Amino acid sequence: MSQPAVELDGIWKRFPGVIANAGANLTVLPGTVHAVLGENGAGKTTLMNCLAGVYLPDEGTVRIAGEEMRFSSPADALAAGIGMVHQEFRLVPTFTVAENVVLGSAPAVIDQDAINRDVAELAERFGFEADPKRPVWQLSMGERQRVEILKALWRDARVLILDEPTAVLTPQEAVELGAVLRQMVAEGRSVIFISHKLDEVTSFCDEGTVLRGGATVAASINIADADAAQLAELMVGSSSTPEVSPRAGTPGDAILEVDGLTVMDSRGLTAVDDLSLTVHAGEIVGVAGVAGNGQRALTDAIAGLDTATAGTIKIESTDVTNASTRRRVDAGLAYIPEDRLGVGLAPKLPITHNAVIRSYRTMRQGPFLAWERARAFCTDLIDTFSVKVGRLDDPMASLSGGNLQRLLLGRELSGEPHIVVAAQPTRGLDVAGVAAIQNLLLDQRDSGTGILMISEDLDELLALADRILVMSEGRIVGEFDPRATSRAEIGEAMMGAS
Amino acid sequence: MRRLVLQRRETPTRGGQPAAFFIGLLFALLIGAILLTIAGDPVLDTYSRMWDRSLGSSESIATTLNRAVPLALAGLAVSIAATMGLWNIGAEGQILFGATAATLVGRIGADWPGPVLIVAMLLGAAIGGALWSLGPGLARAEIGVSEIITTLMLNEVALRLIRYLQNGAWKDPEGFGFPQIEARPDQAELGQIWERAHLGVIIAIVVILAFAWFLNRSVWGYELKIAGSSPNTATYAGISMRRKILGVMLLSGAVAGFAGGIELTGTAARLNENISNGYGFAGIIVAALALMRPSGVALVAVAFGAVQVGGLSIQSLGVSSAVATILQALILFGAIGASVLSSYRIRLVDRKVAA
Amino acid sequence: MILAEISISEAAVIGLVVATIKFATLLYLAALGETIAERAGVLNLGVEGMMAMGAVAGYIGGVASGSPWVGLLVGALAGAAISMVHAIAAVGLGADQVVSGLALTLLGLGLADFIGDSYTDDPRRALFTEVDIPVLSDIKWLGDTIFSTSPVTYLAIAIGVVTWFVFSRTSLGLGLRAVGESASTADAAGHSVTAMRMGAVMVGGALAGMSGAYLSTFVVGAWSVGVTAGRGWIAVALVIFGAWRPGRVAIGALLFGFTLALQLRLQPFGIEFSPILVSMLPYLLTVGVLIVISYRARNQPPPAPAGLGIAYRREER
Repeated sequence: MSQPAVELDGIWKRFPGVIANAGANLTVLPGTVHAVLGENGAGKTTLMNCLAGVYLPDEGTVRIAGEEMRFSSPADALAAGIGMVHQEFRLVPTFTVAENVVLGSAPAVIDQDAINRDVAELAERFGFEADPKRPVWQLSMGERQRVEILKALWRDARVLILDEPTAVLTPQEAVELGAVLRQMVAEGRSVIFISHKLDEVTSFCDEGTVLRGGATVAASINIADADAAQLAELMVGSSSTPEVSPRAGTPGDAILEVDGLTVMDSRGLTAVDDLSLTVHAGEIVGVAGVAGNGQRALTDAIAGLDTATAGTIKIESTDVTNASTRRRVDAGLAYIPEDRLGVGLAPKLPITHNAVIRSYRTMRQGPFLAWERARAFCTDLIDTFSVKVGRLDDPMASLSGGNLQRLLLGRELSGEPHIVVAAQPTRGLDVAGVAAIQNLLLDQRDSGTGILMISEDLDELLALADRILVMSEGRIVGEFDPRATSRAEIGEAMMGAS
Repeated sequence: MRRLVLQRRETPTRGGQPAAFFIGLLFALLIGAILLTIAGDPVLDTYSRMWDRSLGSSESIATTLNRAVPLALAGLAVSIAATMGLWNIGAEGQILFGATAATLVGRIGADWPGPVLIVAMLLGAAIGGALWSLGPGLARAEIGVSEIITTLMLNEVALRLIRYLQNGAWKDPEGFGFPQIEARPDQAELGQIWERAHLGVIIAIVVILAFAWFLNRSVWGYELKIAGSSPNTATYAGISMRRKILGVMLLSGAVAGFAGGIELTGTAARLNENISNGYGFAGIIVAALALMRPSGVALVAVAFGAVQVGGLSIQSLGVSSAVATILQALILFGAIGASVLSSYRIRLVDRKVAA
Repeated sequence: MILAEISISEAAVIGLVVATIKFATLLYLAALGETIAERAGVLNLGVEGMMAMGAVAGYIGGVASGSPWVGLLVGALAGAAISMVHAIAAVGLGADQVVSGLALTLLGLGLADFIGDSYTDDPRRALFTEVDIPVLSDIKWLGDTIFSTSPVTYLAIAIGVVTWFVFSRTSLGLGLRAVGESASTADAAGHSVTAMRMGAVMVGGALAGMSGAYLSTFVVGAWSVGVTAGRGWIAVALVIFGAWRPGRVAIGALLFGFTLALQLRLQPFGIEFSPILVSMLPYLLTVGVLIVISYRARNQPPPAPAGLGIAYRREER
């Protein structure tokens, strides 16, 4: 057997209050696509960041082609042949594709035509199209990912790490990515493919390593021999995820009616395309779909943070299409935004300030705010939703992710909404946090509220939703009854099977 | 290979900012002493003269307080804009235009009784200052034009506007051909309250306390904090960012303009292009040193006022009054260094470069 | 028509063109320096202070050595030296760039006054003279105007061309621009953000200092308190007016230089218009350009470097 391209041995990485990696191991052979599997928070990304020079591990060794390394920056790692494509791309939007590719390893004097030609040739060699002269800000997410891969290949990376690469890809692009990866391993390179989706692992990867709780629970499994159920059990552990018992709701009147909605994104492209949906009282309508198919624009438009260019949005027959966010709240809307810290909360301000964002207008005394009432409200919220906090004057950011989300959800629900729009409400939370949030949403539904829930986690939607709508390229492409549909059917629709 | 890295401490040092200010002050005095020595000036004599003439007697304290008034108001103006994350670099121009507007009021009401005229002039000054920040405020609120540059540019325009008036429409007929603007009406002078300290000192304290109280207790102040801390969250909460940006810029301009009015009715006899005297710029540094807190702004303004007043006194020793300007800048740089060092640890870290 | 009534003398036009080029050179050097710093992501509002330092150091260097060239060099060094304060505070320590830059203006003006205290009213001079270029200087009109200027103008043009070349055709320039657009991206690609930003600030300081020295060795020809007269702020404006591009900044320098020249040379044209109002033009034009830029930015990335004014600290998580 040839020498491993990468060996990570006993990697520990601690952050304040969190142990991200607890003695993780990984061995990647040359000429293979190696999956790193694990649930959200299993420590996959941290481990890869330790390999790619973003973090220095606290303990453990990193060996590249048998030689021990200590990377103090991504550039060090790149020089040793390790390239990583992060979930958030590291590209200069105003630069052209070619400029981004050669940045940091360009000849001292740059001949624009020559680098354009060289980059085009490189792209061609790996079988993907890229116009080297186009500025990156004009590209789609999938195209940007290709630029990131080209960056690593330009530096002749022997090992390419891809962090959840398919999250931003259309099904077509995902297939193309697979071909590129094959070409790379055919040249003797290695690819590390981080994922928590079993289906893509089985179609792309040769071997797999499973992480749980920051440690390796199964190393270098041959994927072809592996059983999907077995992999899944390794990922989630023997104690299965707490069951959320779906209780069939009894839908009432239509609460939210979206008709022919069209929303443009910041680049002037259609994000939501002539979309219609209805949510009734007492039901959870789930929206499934690959990330980046217009979900965020849809929820933002309903919440009033994005402008509808066409169509109507009605809450209990009140037209709120172009209404202010305040009028929507008055009409009975509550919103759990996807970007909690950026849109729902003010992380640097005290907890009290955050707790009353929705209700401070009811606490006025002339021009002044009745702070005693605000504090009482906040204390009440913390008790009711069991939020763990230090002092009320501590900044919001001092709360953990689960507590942040509980406070946010509690705050939104305390206004007794008729319709809740929840975007990725459980993402990034630990198992207990997920269950708590899910139960709160179910209780809310049972008390007669309509809920529109967007999630990338199909299993969550299957467990909670009364109806599942599948969104692709800004449109609803299918509606399913979760009790009478298999995962595969919905998955097919998500992939825009047309 | 080893290298120095800065590591952020997990808990910032408590009471760090006052300490940083005093370290900055010490740093400035130390560097100042070195400069004076190089130039062959007497260090101790210079510093003791500065102390005597700025804080050494009740008379000099009064002079310092008068000087601190425009600095504190300018600093307050800057810190109000900063609650929304905005930089009002235009306090200088707003002071100038505020004083210009007050002069206009003075020309209209030349025969009004003193108290009425003073109130009218101060009001006019505030409105003038607000008008001078209206353009940058609108441009920022409506199309996102950086207020840093627009306010900065308008400083130079305000300066030239006064120069224009001075040579034209408002030229003093009794100035013997010398281009100066007619003096403001005599009755429009703020009374003295203690030694030479004028009523403006009390007014400034009241204004600062009122703002500190209002921003902390009012619904408007709460909305401002949300909007300044997280714009998307504010929009989500139904707070109009456009209106908040415009409101805060107008208010900031009004406070700076008001400072111009106080200068005109307090220490200056007539409008001239030096009436702002760098207070607008110094106010930014004052506000930064006070971490944008109104009460801190008042204290730092007194310290800066003392340095400026002290600086004027050392000319008679044959020492350049530029020392005061240098000291003010060095206090800031010293404090920056001190506050960074207090929130970071410097550590030597091993570094192996990959082969 | 009013135009018909204006009699334009040849000398007045020549004087205007000569003065325009003189001021354009002054503004261009400082604005080019600021362009370099801002393209690397560092706003430096200390131009006025660095210019003042350059003016006093340039004067002293010039008269002490008897050569204006030495003055120019000493001025550049003084500008670079004082800009280090901003480089350390704003880049090294991550202080707010606006505050640090304004404090630098204060420091530079104060230090220049302090150092120059004994040189005010000094009768000594070390002046550049207009260069006489064979053939070109003999051309009628052009010879007396465009080709009758100090060698610093040619130096400024050369530095402008070099800057353009470095930005658009070299790896260093690509890195500098990346540092200004997205520091984390540049860092990940192996460029040292701190070193590049500090370097850019100091080059900017050197050019502002050179601009100041040119003031005291040619434009004004002496040192006096307040000799920079707010021209540093025009240079800051010019960077925006020129959309952060060396070539467009040069065009802007000519336009703004023209408005400065007009203030001095309006009277010979017999135009009844206050030169003081003309002097407001650069600032108002810049505000206008900024509004147009921001308006257009709705559909495309604005020309300002995306990372301008944002301190960079590597993520430790």
